[in-house]
Amino acid sequence: MQSPAFRVVRALLLLLIGIFFLFPIVWVLLMSFMTNVDILRSPPSPFFVPTLRNYVALISGHLSTSSGEVQIDYMHNLLNSVILSTCSVIVSLILGVPAAYAFARFKFRGGEDMAFTLLSFRFAPPLLVLLPLLGYFQAIGLYDTYFGLIWVYQLITLPLVLWITRGYFEDVSEDLELAYRLDGHSWLSTFFRISIPLARPGIAAAGLLSFIFAWNNFIFALILGSSSVQPVTVGALAFITASGIEYGQIAAALVLSVIPTLILAIFTQRYLVEGLSLGAIKG
Amino acid sequence: MSFLSIDRLSKSYRKNEVIRDLSFAVDRGEFLVVFGPSGAGKTVLLRLIAGMVRPDRGRVLLGGSDITDDNPEQRDIAMAFQNFALYPHMSAFDNIGSPLRAAKVGEAERRRRVEEAAKLLRIDHVLGHLPRALSNGQKQRTALARSLVSEPSLLLLDDPLRNVDAKVRYEMRLELPRLLRARDTTVVYVTQDYKEAMALGDRIAVLADGGFQQIDTPERVYNAPASARIARLFGDPPINLLPAVRSGAGLRVASSEIALDGAAPDRAECTMGVRPEDVIVSLEQASGAIPVEIDAVTPLNDRQVMLLRADDGTEIFASQPQGTHVVPGGLPSGRERPRAWARLDVSRSHFFETASGARV
Amino acid sequence: MDATLSRPAPVSKKGGGAGKRRPLVSARVLPYLLSLPALLTCIGILIPFITAVIYSLERYNLAFPQARRFVWFGNFIHLFSSAGFWHTVYVSLAYTVLTVGVELLLGLGIALLLWRRSLLTNLLSVLLILPLMVAPAIAALMWKLMTNANFGVLSYLVNAVGIHDFRWGASPSTALFTVVLVDVWVYTPFIAILLLAGLRGLPRQPFEAAELDGVPASFVFFRILLPMLLPYLLTASLFRMLDSIQQFDIIYAMTQGGPGDTLLVFQVQSYLQAFTFTDIGRASAILMVLWVITYALTTVFMKNWTRLRERAHGHA
Repeated sequence: MQSPAFRVVRALLLLLIGIFFLFPIVWVLLMSFMTNVDILRSPPSPFFVPTLRNYVALISGHLSTSSGEVQIDYMHNLLNSVILSTCSVIVSLILGVPAAYAFARFKFRGGEDMAFTLLSFRFAPPLLVLLPLLGYFQAIGLYDTYFGLIWVYQLITLPLVLWITRGYFEDVSEDLELAYRLDGHSWLSTFFRISIPLARPGIAAAGLLSFIFAWNNFIFALILGSSSVQPVTVGALAFITASGIEYGQIAAALVLSVIPTLILAIFTQRYLVEGLSLGAIKG
Repeated sequence: MSFLSIDRLSKSYRKNEVIRDLSFAVDRGEFLVVFGPSGAGKTVLLRLIAGMVRPDRGRVLLGGSDITDDNPEQRDIAMAFQNFALYPHMSAFDNIGSPLRAAKVGEAERRRRVEEAAKLLRIDHVLGHLPRALSNGQKQRTALARSLVSEPSLLLLDDPLRNVDAKVRYEMRLELPRLLRARDTTVVYVTQDYKEAMALGDRIAVLADGGFQQIDTPERVYNAPASARIARLFGDPPINLLPAVRSGAGLRVASSEIALDGAAPDRAECTMGVRPEDVIVSLEQASGAIPVEIDAVTPLNDRQVMLLRADDGTEIFASQPQGTHVVPGGLPSGRERPRAWARLDVSRSHFFETASGARV
Repeated sequence: MDATLSRPAPVSKKGGGAGKRRPLVSARVLPYLLSLPALLTCIGILIPFITAVIYSLERYNLAFPQARRFVWFGNFIHLFSSAGFWHTVYVSLAYTVLTVGVELLLGLGIALLLWRRSLLTNLLSVLLILPLMVAPAIAALMWKLMTNANFGVLSYLVNAVGIHDFRWGASPSTALFTVVLVDVWVYTPFIAILLLAGLRGLPRQPFEAAELDGVPASFVFFRILLPMLLPYLLTASLFRMLDSIQQFDIIYAMTQGGPGDTLLVFQVQSYLQAFTFTDIGRASAILMVLWVITYALTTVFMKNWTRLRERAHGHA
């Protein structure tokens, strides 16, 4: 029943959608290989002689500007992002997976309220907590530390882990756990040998998604840290507002900041789609 | 002395009392079938014994010691599940070997015993497979092997033949008793199938309405049911339950007079239970027989099942063995219903109180 | 089969028999034990929340620490009588309505286009995840590069089609449009992916039956498809509303709330109050208003989402 005209319109629309959502990534990627001269050329052209100068400058930390050379250690921001995101996910999994299991398996007094409270953190305005926390962190020496930031990152990563894995634990049959325990295994080994392996797709999805959310976070480190612990999101902003830095270097900085998550996303998109629906839909 | 005893066990879910003051005892090596309609609380009972669910009141004793507060892994109990409950991420070998691994049995010994159990259940050729690669029959045998391999002192079987096809079910019904008797295992077996219950049980415990209605040998449950309700649960087609009124020396059933030979209830009114095979149908009039029309005829194995209708509308099932078929070719087509006479074998009948259904 | 099996020694689960082991952890406390670490970690966050409530009831300016005192609802009264606050409410709502509205329509359209599986749609649904993986702050910076007045490719294109003097984020008349555009670019894929998963989970029979009966497409869409998709639409839009009403990253990275006060949404306004004007009391009061809104939305969202989850897990 599909007419040729309909199919052409459909293909055209799909093409437009593809262009709209991919063009910015592609263009910034192209820019990052351009010299300033190429960038400032009018009309803009995707045909140019690519150069690695921008990346070399970024990685070495010696950036050329209109007013001479400046030192910006953007690689350190990148390292901060890796440390903060990785540690946050690990902590969240260690704390969140057992809790998710408890909420899924036991109907205990206060359980639902606890679960709700934990999820509502995901939706509370972050600044509300960050303002007072800044004072406390400065007082107890957690300001500008990885530890302090990783703790606060739990606000976003922990609810994700909790709510995605909970759905998967609910789908693990209770009979399997009972069978394993009757075999003579303790509760703990049942948890590790039966429950966790069977909920693994959910745990993977939760871990991936919270890694990406942590990587993309901006406001926590903006307020609770200085450049020594700040991730690429904050680093890039400082970069763009600093005057006179070559545009190609800015583009290269942006590319470096998104490449890790983009690569991760492409290889794990099946898990991500499940995770993105917060366990509401099984793909 | 009894090996497993349940002492006044009660369990409610949200104010709904599933099991109420349940008590029973099982001897060592006994095969007890817990039989009951779905929703009677059979699964909850097994979970209480297994320790996955804690009772509100009451105690569970195994081998003389109180295990009410023990965790499942501390109880010397194995269980096979209706849905098999095989660990989907482990091979059949690892599934069966799981109890041995928990008991820290050495690698070589474990392999020997898993293979032995697998051979016994004829699944030794699929030990390397994951559960999803097994047929339902093989899954069921794997689950049984897992429950047998550790020589548990008590084996719980939760309707294990429910999800396998008719052929496997028939085979297992023959195989299971031999397998278990050889090991002297105490078994509590849950089923909704009365034939399974009759075929397997040393005793049958009939569970309904949160309590046991009767605990007895299969013969007694069938031949001396404690209530009209139990009588109806055993037998296919079900027992005929006919209102009977005392009239002189005989009974008035379905508007007909029946002579009583032998002991009869000393009540004016009661319910008379007659199994279909104790209804003798004949095309010739006989004294003390109820005049009926033959409404329908169906073959059941080598027997012929007839639905009879008395003049006052009472429906009676009759089941005749081969060779005595009243209407050999089935019913003639057309509206005409053959006239016949049904004689109830009073000596093999049961009498129940009209109101309570209790055996008189 | 011969069932006379050599009897191995039974495996005993109880060591020795005498002196029975009690369970190490009673089944009653186990769930608390499991969930407490997670909860305790977040309690550390709950304390600052209470502090924030107190701040919002205080006159508290870092520049005049000696003037700090309790003023009850003074901050709120001041807020509700100031035009700047109502501008913040207006901009935040406009931003939310625009982003959620456009993303919902566009997301639904994309999901419908991708519904039928083919090589092209499979590829596109993978690529569609990419904008979602870009940090909103970075996305804003990417668009900032593309809309730069000197060399931005978009500025050039807009100029080329005859719209001169379109200054994107730099002009009050187009700033809202620009940040909404970035938000749409980042988050539409989220809605599209959620709805696509919903669409692919729908039963086929109603659609096949409608096709056999020759039911008009508009009827199928409005009377069959939309009602079946409604829970997903609701969940997706509530989720996005919660994010949009508190958007900070995109707006801050793009214009820092400017030009002027054009884009001073709740969190950006509050950030300025706290870090530029050092007025912690007023900043906290603004956030409290925002919190009340998000809490109400969260409650509605949770009800909806629980229902959806139960349906997806097959027990309801």
